Amino acid sequence: MDKGLLAYLLIPLFAAVIIPFAARCRRKLADIIAAVTLLAGLANLAWLVLRPSVINGGFADIPGDGLSLLLVATIYLIGLCVTFFSAWFMDEELPNRPAYYSLILVSVAAMTGVVTTSDFFTLYVFIEVLAVTTFALITTDESAGGIEGALKYFFLTFPASALIIAGLAVLLLTLGSLSFENLRIFMASDIPSGPVTFGAALMLLGFLIKSGVVPFHAWTPDAYQGAYAPVSAHLAGIVTKISGVYAIVKLATLLRFFDGRAQGLSGMLMFLGMLSIAVGALAALRQKDFKRMLAFSSISQVGYIVLAAGLGTPLAIMGAVFHLVNHATFKTVLFLNSASLERSAGTTDMDKLGGLEHSMPWTSWTSVVALLSTAGVPPLSGFWSKLLIILALWESGFKTYAVLALLFSIVTLAYFMVMQRKVFFGLKTRAAENSPEVSAPLLAPVVLLSAVIVALGLLFPYFYTYVRVVTERIIL
Amino acid sequence: MDLPIQMLTTAVAVPVFGAFLIPLAGRVSTTARNAFAVLLGLFTFVAAASLFSTVTGGETADYALSFPLGLDFILSADMLSVFMASISAFVSAIILIYSLDYISHYENQTEYYTMVVLFLGSMMGLVFSASLLWMYVFWEMTGFASWRLVGFFRSDRDVAKANKTILVTVFGALCMLIGIVMIYFDYGTLDLRALHGQSISYAAAALILTGILAKSATLPFSTWLPDAGVAPSTVTALLHAAVLVKIGVYAYARIFGVTFAAPDGFSNAVLYLAGASALVSAGAALIETDIKRIIAYSTVSQIAFIFLGLASGNRTAFAGALLYILMHSVAKGGLFLCAGIIEQNTHTKDINKMGGLFSSMPVTGTAFALCSLSVMGIPPFGGFFSKFLVFSGAAQNGSLPVLLMFLAGAVMTLLYLVRLFYKIFLGDPAGHKSPREGSYTMVASVMALALIGLALGALIYYPSAYTELLTANLGVNLQ
Repeated sequence: MDKGLLAYLLIPLFAAVIIPFAARCRRKLADIIAAVTLLAGLANLAWLVLRPSVINGGFADIPGDGLSLLLVATIYLIGLCVTFFSAWFMDEELPNRPAYYSLILVSVAAMTGVVTTSDFFTLYVFIEVLAVTTFALITTDESAGGIEGALKYFFLTFPASALIIAGLAVLLLTLGSLSFENLRIFMASDIPSGPVTFGAALMLLGFLIKSGVVPFHAWTPDAYQGAYAPVSAHLAGIVTKISGVYAIVKLATLLRFFDGRAQGLSGMLMFLGMLSIAVGALAALRQKDFKRMLAFSSISQVGYIVLAAGLGTPLAIMGAVFHLVNHATFKTVLFLNSASLERSAGTTDMDKLGGLEHSMPWTSWTSVVALLSTAGVPPLSGFWSKLLIILALWESGFKTYAVLALLFSIVTLAYFMVMQRKVFFGLKTRAAENSPEVSAPLLAPVVLLSAVIVALGLLFPYFYTYVRVVTERIIL
Repeated sequence: MDLPIQMLTTAVAVPVFGAFLIPLAGRVSTTARNAFAVLLGLFTFVAAASLFSTVTGGETADYALSFPLGLDFILSADMLSVFMASISAFVSAIILIYSLDYISHYENQTEYYTMVVLFLGSMMGLVFSASLLWMYVFWEMTGFASWRLVGFFRSDRDVAKANKTILVTVFGALCMLIGIVMIYFDYGTLDLRALHGQSISYAAAALILTGILAKSATLPFSTWLPDAGVAPSTVTALLHAAVLVKIGVYAYARIFGVTFAAPDGFSNAVLYLAGASALVSAGAALIETDIKRIIAYSTVSQIAFIFLGLASGNRTAFAGALLYILMHSVAKGGLFLCAGIIEQNTHTKDINKMGGLFSSMPVTGTAFALCSLSVMGIPPFGGFFSKFLVFSGAAQNGSLPVLLMFLAGAVMTLLYLVRLFYKIFLGDPAGHKSPREGSYTMVASVMALALIGLALGALIYYPSAYTELLTANLGVNLQ
């Protein structure tokens, strides 16, 4: 456990406990406590990393391995945006409103735990905490869709947990310890790695299910579509990325994919990553519902991260980490946009919408920024992460994968263009006249995240320096 | 920083960042917004043109910003980039002035001005970039701006065509990016100045060519361009005449003309492809009845002539092709803007419903005639000299079939433009009520372009001396 970052775990947990009591005196206190906790954490992190002296020093002074810090910041950022959005989005009278905020904060704490821990058992525990809170969060929407999504989530991720714990057992038997460091040292030695790779493979399988990679993707569209709108943003933006994808990236660095010790695993990951990119993108083309389309898009984007993690070279890991952060920003924007649509137009069925840019200009333009970044259009942030991944693939000789990964960007662009045509870009329709722009507080989170997307794209050299420090620390 | 370098950076930064201030200016007042947009356009032209004195003195102005992995952001003003930037900025500025009246009664004007200026800025960035990756970055930005602009009228059909435009050009651009990645791993750099005179592999060249053909709407990617004619005429003028399609041609000149030594077989393939493109699109222009589609097909066909000059591997032809870019931008810009006046005042795009318009629109008619003559290549218009140089250069070391294809293309150009002019301005009126002449600024803009086309012919010595010097200084592997 990285002790320096323990406070980022404990404070939200503490706040989560306080909220139900505070909300008894005044209901509004629940929103305020949640948002202030996350905002304070974010400000603290910004002070740690974004001071001019730290930036000029090439980020050499940042504590820990840097990756934890970056991901904690992302978790807090997305958490804050979702909380703030929910505060204005949710029905005032909703009975389980305080519980909702508590759950969000617990999930933030659990995710912080996942990214700061330094052994597999703790990682597993936090991932389980996260799974339980997620399950509860999906059911915040008590409609049939919410329950269905939650059950699907349950039935697919709990077997995944079983696989992970089986893998842990194998690792414990062969290595004698579950700390990250031990696995790394073992993989650097010459001892035959059979059982360890087997254990790792079981765990990877579990994490692949949790991150919704093809062919284990069946639960994601239903869970995202069924969940309460801000919850699906939280889920797609950060939760599944931390509980599944982060663990895969971490394992990829520990197993030293780059020196070919676990070649079979590495090849399998890359193949599944590529398959996800293709299947997710092609399926997204055929969707009629905005949220479902985003869910498939999410599957496809996760594919890029898994593909890069499977390659495992330093450049690829850089690309994977960068894409993870980017995905959190642009997918949250799009899911929050879909929530705004639901609020304003009453539906996310794309065939019933049209020409909404006239009445909802802010929602429309932030969705354009986010989709361009997703499709990897320069100079936005998504372009750079994709470019890093493609350069890494080409450098290691996986030219076919590189070309395919690049060309599937056109499919990504295509389904988003269809979405724009059906929802925003067009003549004013009746749907547009009846759906006014949502209020400014609901727009603030998406505008903030869009600004982050543009800024990360334009300030790529700084971000690259940071990510390089991270990779040097976690790989070498 | 020296003055030329400052001029170089402002020519790119002012329109790119200024574009995003236009919505703010729009909050103040409509006049403020329009004035600001036109000022941005004029300023960009002045900044780009001011670099002429530097580059003709044999110097270059360079500006570099360090990026990781050797992907530096490099702007470089040499003779080719300044030439191209000045033409595009000039025609764009005229288009902006013309837009003031043309666009004044439509919705979404603020977005229109923002996107036009952003487009201009991206074009400046693309032209001045001396790094392949950054050319790609600006390349995609122009694609984005053209997506919004083609869909300007917002009907389902418009947006579908806009989507087609962006998907075709982005597909090409992605192929180009693969080619760029190949070059990156072959040479370890994307700095065009460092790559000068290197050879390039067939695969990389073919991939980059795909991107270029997609952007310049040459066979087999030509269909998006006539389709994009659903946009306002100013946009089609901007996209089809002055700027967007020229990006492809410019990239060809930049990458295969003055940087890499393209393999011979590759250049020959380009010649045949361009020849086919010239013939097919000229044929399409002969049978179309939509005024804007005819002019759009004509663009596709004329672009092929530029490729003929660039790919012939001959100094005279190369210099002629550069002149061709200049002449065609001016003349075709004029034609599209004339079409805009006609379309707006007759409320139709079908040439069968026009006829006899010369009596009611004499100035537009004259400007249209002058621009057509320049595109046909009739002396003493500028278009004659460029076409002549391209043909005489290509004849020196081109193959006979290619020349015959292009000769046929040139004859067809003559035919379809005469037909177009006759159908619109001469003959009997076909069921219209003698529409009025366009507004003062609109007519002045088209007349200015027409007269500049004539003046360029009279003063052909200066531009041709410039392009010859350019070819001599920068050309690679030319005879």
